Amino acid sequence: MPARTILLYPHQTLKEVCRSVSAFDADLEALIRDLVDTMRAGPASVGVAAPQIGVPLRVCVVDVSASKLGKDNNHGLLVMVNPEITLREGAAVMREGCMSVPDYTGDVERATDITVRFQDGDGAAHEIEASGFEAVAIQHETDHLDGMLFLDRITSLKTGLFRRKKYK
Amino acid sequence: MEGSGDTAVHCAVTIIGKDRPGIVAGAAEVLYRLGCNIEDSSSTMLGGEFAMILIVSREKPFSKSRLLEEFKTFGESMQVSVFVRTLARSEIRHEALAGELCMVSVYGSDRPGIVYRVTKELADRNINISDMNTKLVGTDENPVYVMMLEAVLPDGMEIEDVSRLLEKLKKELNVEIGVRSVTPVSL
Repeated sequence: MPARTILLYPHQTLKEVCRSVSAFDADLEALIRDLVDTMRAGPASVGVAAPQIGVPLRVCVVDVSASKLGKDNNHGLLVMVNPEITLREGAAVMREGCMSVPDYTGDVERATDITVRFQDGDGAAHEIEASGFEAVAIQHETDHLDGMLFLDRITSLKTGLFRRKKYK
Repeated sequence: MEGSGDTAVHCAVTIIGKDRPGIVAGAAEVLYRLGCNIEDSSSTMLGGEFAMILIVSREKPFSKSRLLEEFKTFGESMQVSVFVRTLARSEIRHEALAGELCMVSVYGSDRPGIVYRVTKELADRNINISDMNTKLVGTDENPVYVMMLEAVLPDGMEIEDVSRLLEKLKKELNVEIGVRSVTPVSL
């Protein structure tokens, strides 16, 4: 399957709490492949969550290894099924943008160090510690699985700004 | 987007007056009744004044005088001044902001020339300020000036270049200056 179209807000799938995955079957395999292809196709994209391509299941992919901010500190391609962040430590603010909310960015505070538990595409359990940009990306993508957008987390009005906007 | 078709006409509206509850709602009501879209806007309290800047559009062209007329009752009841500038088609189209985005923080004992000296250095290098606010804080005996601005760097310029550029002003103005990247990350 080629890269899928990224849904844009106000598509309501983006605000759904997604269902856990229980069947580790060919459908899941296809979904994971689509998520990876979609992430690779996106301009400078470092992660995609299943609801962003219209599938309300708890699956997301993250890969910050090719990005300037994450290239020295990452786990490569992470395929995360039923991910759960079990520990959050530290706090740092980063200006985030999201493919599902074009033309808007805002400052969001995230944990700097996290522990995340998840299953891979075959159902095997994993637990990793992530930090820095990879940790931010994981928190942003797992938020999608709970119907949370970065807009729900912007705290600073002074810097929540329109960017790269063109008047039509 | 609603109201952004070919026939839309844009205006810049500036509203300022002594702060009180109801200014935003009052202005928004006038625009709503006129069928205007508030496309981009920014409003804040400055001193005891509340200031609004709005880019508004409408499907059908409207005149500046008509808009001002509609704001008359609102302006009088809220005791605010309303200014309108019609925007030509060439003005409403602007280039996408590319390049690194940086935040510059400047603070220190108040003295004349802080804003001028810092922004002159930036302007001379074609660094484009996209957002700025300043505030006079501290006590009467020890007034402190705080300036925060965001700027888009020209292609090829790095955050470190801006740090170096502003370094000499620290001594000249006796202020602290920090420069950090706030370039958005795409997730």
